Amino acid sequence: MSGLAEAPKAPITKIDRVTIVSLGIIAVILLAGIVLKNSAMLIFGLLMALMVTGMPISIALGLTVLTFMFFMTDVDPQTVALKLFTGIEKFEIMAIPFFILAGNFLTHGGVARRMINFATSMVGHWHGGLGLAGVVACALFAAVSGSSPATVVAIGSIILPAMVRQGFPKRFGAGVITTSGALGILIPPSIVMVIYAVATSGMNVTGPNGERVSSASVGDLFIAGVVPGLMLASLLGLVTWYRAWKGNYPRMRRAGWGERLTAFRKAFWGLALIVIVMGGIYSGKFTPTEAAAMSAVYAFVISVFVYRDLSLSQIPKVLLDSANMSAMLLYIITNAVLFSFLMTSENIPQQMTTWMVGQGLNWFTFLLIVNVLLLLAGNVMEPSSIVLIMAPILFPMAARLGIDPIHFGILIVVNMEVGMCHPPVGLNLYVASGITKMGITELTVAVWPWLLAMLCFLALVTYVPWISLVLPRALGM
Amino acid sequence: MLKILDRLEEILIASLMAAATLLIFVAVAHRYGATVPFLYPYLAPINLGWAQELCIYMFVWMAKFGAAYGVRTGIHVGVDVILNRLPDAIKHKVVTFGLLAGAFFTGIVGTLGTNFVYHMAQTEQVSADLEIPSWIVYLAIPLGSYLMCFRFLQVAWTFWRTRELPHHDHGHVEGLEDETAPLKPAGASR
Repeated sequence: MSGLAEAPKAPITKIDRVTIVSLGIIAVILLAGIVLKNSAMLIFGLLMALMVTGMPISIALGLTVLTFMFFMTDVDPQTVALKLFTGIEKFEIMAIPFFILAGNFLTHGGVARRMINFATSMVGHWHGGLGLAGVVACALFAAVSGSSPATVVAIGSIILPAMVRQGFPKRFGAGVITTSGALGILIPPSIVMVIYAVATSGMNVTGPNGERVSSASVGDLFIAGVVPGLMLASLLGLVTWYRAWKGNYPRMRRAGWGERLTAFRKAFWGLALIVIVMGGIYSGKFTPTEAAAMSAVYAFVISVFVYRDLSLSQIPKVLLDSANMSAMLLYIITNAVLFSFLMTSENIPQQMTTWMVGQGLNWFTFLLIVNVLLLLAGNVMEPSSIVLIMAPILFPMAARLGIDPIHFGILIVVNMEVGMCHPPVGLNLYVASGITKMGITELTVAVWPWLLAMLCFLALVTYVPWISLVLPRALGM
Repeated sequence: MLKILDRLEEILIASLMAAATLLIFVAVAHRYGATVPFLYPYLAPINLGWAQELCIYMFVWMAKFGAAYGVRTGIHVGVDVILNRLPDAIKHKVVTFGLLAGAFFTGIVGTLGTNFVYHMAQTEQVSADLEIPSWIVYLAIPLGSYLMCFRFLQVAWTFWRTRELPHHDHGHVEGLEDETAPLKPAGASR
């Protein structure tokens, strides 16, 4: 899924049926768009046609906008150049590079190892042993990092080899960590939540009775993610416990309270980051972006000076990697802003909303369609691109049906988590396969029990708004 | 010559990243430091209201040049589900098309940006807080885009000669190797 190519195992000589059918569908949409002069079909047909060539999604978005504007409208192309700069001229967006930097320091800096030790000392003696500790460690790490693959790398690369040494089946460990790592984007902080907030911010949308609906802020979403995050962590833990109990997998010796206290003290500096980020944002001491910058500086200090697991000479490499990843995301965001500018100027979200209301769709069926659509999109794209393209279109419809913007955001994030854990493009799978040296097909089988639990949880989050809204409401947001 | 450009690009984006982080840290520390009575006389006269704006500009510059660096490292993701199902000969043509389309898009944006900056340089427009001329700030668009265009052409040229693309490895983590020596995460199989 990264870059443009992956060497196929056996040489392919013929074009198979799936390819022909998918290309055919795209061609039909494009033709229909041209014949019917329907700009929505034309834009999406063009976008899909460009995307299947495997060019970067950001470029496909940008080219769609340029082509459409050049041929179909008389908007000055000069506005494109301006939008490319002003698209990311918001302080909110800058939380993304800061969280990426903080995450990279934490992954390299020994925080993960201490969190695993702490988690093991607490739950290692139950059924599931290290596996259960892996779920807890992922949840803890997710509370300081905003990315799922980073969580899989940080926790998985330490705990998976240890599990194999203890006699767990490789599949079991890989399944636990691949799915638990997905907690990274649900438990705040979360890069995907920042992207959702950015993609929907400033949109002029109305509710069912014509009142204005304001979009969800980064802070709201972070607070709202806590309850669903803890619930999903417990659910994954339960599945792990049950499977380990049935398979009679090894358990750890029960740690004494003294050992637990020592483990806690060692992990304390990492755990304190949770308080800084969440406490800082909630108490209003920091904006989310400032909290992200603080956590980057803090993570740097504890990795280099407190834990001393990262030497100063490694810093430039960490900075460069973070800059590389952030620039990629910011570039997609710029082009996605351009794309949603085109959608708005063509009135597409409004048209679709009117059409949907005309069809008599209620919120129940709408959410079902949204979930299926996003799960399908999760088969071909990674989360940030999906959210950036889909959220500006779906959000006005959701608001019109009276769905809370915060609830809608959490639903999208949980949906994205599922997409990260199944092929063909689930990033967590690829990362786990890199650590365990297992093939993607074998891993896909390995994650099934947990993925099924996740899908049930997705249904629950979709139809029980209370789960997402209880904490923000209790805190008066 | 190319080596120097590569190094400059890397140094620029890494230092922008570090500088922006420190800047926001200092600005926040300053805001809370100024509430301490003992430090107040020293900190109050310093105005850091421009910090946010500078941070945004730094990150925009980082994003533009980092995107060019990203082409070189192959981090820009695309949809390759269909691509991987194609026979090699067709696949190579499609990949080349994708790379050239990237060069085409960034080239156009660079040209639009140059035009835009040129017109802006004729005006007296300055940025809100820092009061630096706007055209200098917006210079990131043409410079970054042309560099990105160049990188796309470079990658296309290498691909045409060697049939190889740069590709980014999300599974690889340094600094963990020594702890997990027997089973180190040498990278995703991509």
